[in-house]
Amino acid sequence: MVAVLTGNHYEVLGIDARATPEQVEKAYRFCLEMYGDSSVALYSLLDPEEQRRARSRVQEAYEVLRDPFRRHEYDVSQGFARPGGPMSVLPRPASGPVPVRTPPPPPPRPPAPQVLEGPVDGAALRRFREQRGINLKDIAARTKIGVRYLEYIEADRHAQLPAAVYLRGFLLEYARATGLEPLRTAEAYMSRIRRPKDD
Amino acid sequence: MMEALPAVMPAASSRARRQVWSVGGGKGGIGKSLLTAALGVQLARVGRKVVLVDADLGGANLHTCLGLAGPPLTLGDFICRRVERIEDVLVETGVPGLRLISGSADFLGAANIKYAQKVRVLNRIRALDVDIILMDLGAGTSFNIIDFFLISDVGILTVVPEPTSIENGYRFIKSALYRKLRGAAPTEAVRSIVDSALDPKNPLGIRTPLDLLAAVEREDPSSVAILKQQMAAFHPRFVVNQVRDPSDVAIGHQLVTACSRHLGVKATYAGYVPFDDAVWRCVRQRRLFASAVPDSPAAQKVRELARGLMQGESLALTW
Repeated sequence: MVAVLTGNHYEVLGIDARATPEQVEKAYRFCLEMYGDSSVALYSLLDPEEQRRARSRVQEAYEVLRDPFRRHEYDVSQGFARPGGPMSVLPRPASGPVPVRTPPPPPPRPPAPQVLEGPVDGAALRRFREQRGINLKDIAARTKIGVRYLEYIEADRHAQLPAAVYLRGFLLEYARATGLEPLRTAEAYMSRIRRPKDD
Repeated sequence: MMEALPAVMPAASSRARRQVWSVGGGKGGIGKSLLTAALGVQLARVGRKVVLVDADLGGANLHTCLGLAGPPLTLGDFICRRVERIEDVLVETGVPGLRLISGSADFLGAANIKYAQKVRVLNRIRALDVDIILMDLGAGTSFNIIDFFLISDVGILTVVPEPTSIENGYRFIKSALYRKLRGAAPTEAVRSIVDSALDPKNPLGIRTPLDLLAAVEREDPSSVAILKQQMAAFHPRFVVNQVRDPSDVAIGHQLVTACSRHLGVKATYAGYVPFDDAVWRCVRQRRLFASAVPDSPAAQKVRELARGLMQGESLALTW
């Protein structure tokens, strides 16, 4: 299998971490065309399935980098930016980038990771996620956590979930992927679980 | 037997003299010979002493591209030592500063010239009073072609925006690179890994040079650095010929990106030449478009291409 696209979101789009929104946009279009079904340049190098996977990696990278908030969060997670430090790109007031063959832009996001009010259980997580228009497959693709486990988390099926140490990691990833404050979300969820094997 | 390769000379310096450039591409009928001839004319026009070498042994027609009749003596006569001096097979083209060593029409096509003979040929050509030796490599990926490409200081890879040509282009890159790596393989084990990579259905699952490096890493980690060094020194320059629209122009950038990401090869995009009716009208009149219609779009782009190649510049993605 050819190594399709490895590396971080910037490497996937072939730009550096200081790229402007315009550069992100242009790089994205270039990659879409390059990995598109009618691309001539990749002929015989990648098979259709590899090309499809490359496209979805490009899409994934773009979805994060086009959004100033998600991009900042990502930069922090990759060590490109400090938590609470300046964002590499300032969010635009109104117009936003021109969408190109992409799903409609997600609703505008508040700047800081959110903290859920009230009990942090599966249902609360799910409500928050759905408000943000994020589906479980996106989270699974981003976090490499199986969709099934994400479903168990949201359904509070604690018995099916792995040991606390792993579950905590899942929750941190889940929170980052949805825009929740990771630590507090994970702690709040964990605190509601009582399982014999964890005591 | 491996002989010492001629030293690669740095571009854009006083030692930039006597460079060998070669034009390959894997596929036939994509305009290699016309491009070579036009580049030669342009280089001569800006004052370089150029010798064109038709290394398309078996399908030589560079002379026709230049509007010349087939010369009586050819490169084949020199290789077979029917003539002693390389000067004996050198002809004037009518363009000041541009001379030609013609290939033979039907002689060496099937014969495999030994590596040492190729080096002898190039060394004798390099000894001429010349700045740039510009070789037209034929179609295909035979050792004759690939070795000349690998010996060159500047290896130009011509493609047209069609799947068949792109496929042959990638095949050419892999064949050339594997041959280079094989020559540098420090151990028998590494050499046999390289050999198995040549078989597209190899049991190691090697499909690209990156896979090959990974396989060597597993077998003999100490050899990886040498192979990586060879890969870094392998630097094909793409020319996209017969370009019809902006998306065709973009193919050059996509090829460079794809080579880097998926093959681990650092290629560059030397330039492109538009599809131009003036070119084929000239072909039918056995005249070279670069001389006959110098303000045609194709001729203009060839001039840019020649300038870029001389200065070691390439088209970069700007965004």
